Amino acid sequence: MAGIDLTPVQIQVFQVLAIVVLAPLLSGAIEHLEGRLQGRRGPRILQPYYDLAKLFRKETLLPEDAGWVFVAGPLVAFMCYLVVPLLIPVLTAYPLPLGFMGDILGGGFILGLAGFVVALAAAQSGGPYAQLGSSRSMTFGALIEPSMLFITFTVALVTTTDLPYFEAAASRASLGQAVRPAHLLAAVAFFLVVLGDTGRIPVETHASTLEFGMIDEARLLEHSGPLLALLKWGSAMKQMILYTILVNVFVAPWGLAGSRALSAVLLAIPVLMGKAFGVGVVFAVIDNSFSKLRLFKITEFMAGAFLLAALAVVVLYLGSG
Amino acid sequence: MLRLATLWTAGVPAVAPAFSPGPSRYSSVTEAITLVVLLTEFAMLRAGLSRSQVRLYAFQSFAVSVLAVFVAANNGIGELYAVAILAFVLKVVVVPAILTRLLRDAYVGLVASHRLRVATMVLIAIVVSVLAFIVIKQLPIRSPSLPTATMGIACAVILVSFLLVILRSDVVSQAVGTFSLGNGIDVANFIIAAGLPLILGVVLLFDLLVAAVVFGLLIRAHHGRARTLSTETLEQLRG
Repeated sequence: MAGIDLTPVQIQVFQVLAIVVLAPLLSGAIEHLEGRLQGRRGPRILQPYYDLAKLFRKETLLPEDAGWVFVAGPLVAFMCYLVVPLLIPVLTAYPLPLGFMGDILGGGFILGLAGFVVALAAAQSGGPYAQLGSSRSMTFGALIEPSMLFITFTVALVTTTDLPYFEAAASRASLGQAVRPAHLLAAVAFFLVVLGDTGRIPVETHASTLEFGMIDEARLLEHSGPLLALLKWGSAMKQMILYTILVNVFVAPWGLAGSRALSAVLLAIPVLMGKAFGVGVVFAVIDNSFSKLRLFKITEFMAGAFLLAALAVVVLYLGSG
Repeated sequence: MLRLATLWTAGVPAVAPAFSPGPSRYSSVTEAITLVVLLTEFAMLRAGLSRSQVRLYAFQSFAVSVLAVFVAANNGIGELYAVAILAFVLKVVVVPAILTRLLRDAYVGLVASHRLRVATMVLIAIVVSVLAFIVIKQLPIRSPSLPTATMGIACAVILVSFLLVILRSDVVSQAVGTFSLGNGIDVANFIIAAGLPLILGVVLLFDLLVAAVVFGLLIRAHHGRARTLSTETLEQLRG
C-alpha cells in the first residue's frame, strides 16, 4: 500500500470526499463535547448522519410563495461547498492543479455565493423569521467582508501571492515566519471571522430555538426534507472547510501529506480530523464561557476582527513585520 | 490545452513551495510581544468596567516585563533583568493594587464614559496607529538588528493611550491611559536603548510611582467632592 502513488485527480477527489464524509462527524463530535461540557450526555457522535438519513427519506414541503429559487438555493450552496475543498490545502502540503483555480478571495467568494443563494431561498419562502435571518446574515456578512479582504492582503504581502498553499508553506518555513506579528494577527482575525461565520457565541447561539436571536439558523426554518438535509450537510461542510483553512493555512500547517503516496494521503485524513476537532474544542469552550452579544453589539465584534486584520497589513506594509 | 491535460493527470511535482526563513526569531518574537501591548491598549479603550481596565493595565505591564526579560536574554544585558523585576513588582502588582483599592473604596464599577461608540473609537485608533507607523517610517532609524516594526508599534501604543485619555471621560481611564503611555515609552526604550544605565530605568519607574500616588489623590479628591468617577462634572472652568 505504501508503494501506491495517487494522481492529482485522485488526491483532489480524496480532498472533497474527506470534507463531504467527515463534516457531519466533526459536527457530531463537537455537539457531543458541548453536551458534556454543559453536564449533559450530549447527542451521539454519529447523530448528524442519522439526522441526514432521516431528512433525505422525508418528503419536501414547499411554502405557498416558494418558487424555483427556494429549491435551487440548497442545491447551489451544496455545490459551492463541494468546490472550495479543491482550492485549499485539505490533505497535501503541495499545491494540486485545481488549487490554482482560485485564491483565498476566490474561496471566500464561493462561500459568499453559497450564503447568498441560501439567503435568497429563505427570502423567497415568505416566512418572517426566515426573511429576518436572511436579512441579518447578509448584513453581518457584509460587515465581515473588510476583515476577509485585509486577511487576504496580509497573505499577499507575506507570500507575494494569495494562494492558501503558499501561506501554509511560509508558516512552515521557520519559527520566525510562524510567529511574525502579521501572521499571528491575520490568524486571530481569521479565527474571529470563523467564529462569526459558523454562528458561534458571541455572535449567535447555534443551538438556540429562539427565533429572535437567530441569524444563520433562521434561514433554514422554512425548508424541509432533502432540501433541509442538504442545507444542514452544507452547513457542516462549511464549518469543516473554515476549520481546515484555519488550521492548515494559518495555525498548524503541519501533518499534511508531503508526497503522492496513498499512505501519506490517508494518514493526513485523521490528522486533519484531529486538528479540526482541536479547533472545535476551543470553540466549544468559548461557547460555554461567554454570553451572546446583543444584536447591535455584534458590530463591535466585527470591528475587533477588522482591527486585527488591518493592523496585520499596517505592520507588514509600514513596519515590515 | 495539452499542458492543462498534463497537469490534470500527473504532470505536477509533489513539492511544497519553498520560502525564505523570513524575519529572525528575535525580531518576530519581540514584535509579537509588542503587538500584545498594543492590542491590550485597544482593549482598554473598549473595556466598560473600570476594574477591567486596571486588570488590562496589569496584563499590559506583564507583557512589557516579559519583553524586557526576552531582550535581556537575547542581548546578554544583566541590568535589564533588574529593570524587568522592578517593572513587574511596580506595574503588575503595586500600581494595580493601589487603583483597585481606590475603586473598592469608591464603590463604583461600571462607568459609562465612552464619548463615542466603541466601533468608531476602534476605527479612529486604527487610523492613529497607521499615522504612528507612517511617522516612524520617516525617521532615519535603520538597523538590520533592530526589529523595525517595534518602533511603530510603540509609537502607536503612545498615541492610542492619548486617545484613551481623550475619548473616555472617567478618572480611572485618564490614570490608566497615562500609565500605559509609560508602557509604550518603555517598549521603545527596551528596543532602541536596551543598554540604558540601570539608574535611568529606576528613575523612570519611580516617576510612575509618583504619578500613581498623584492620580490616587486626585481620584480620591474628585470622588469625595463629586461622588462620581466621571469627569463630565468638571465644568466649572468652562468659559
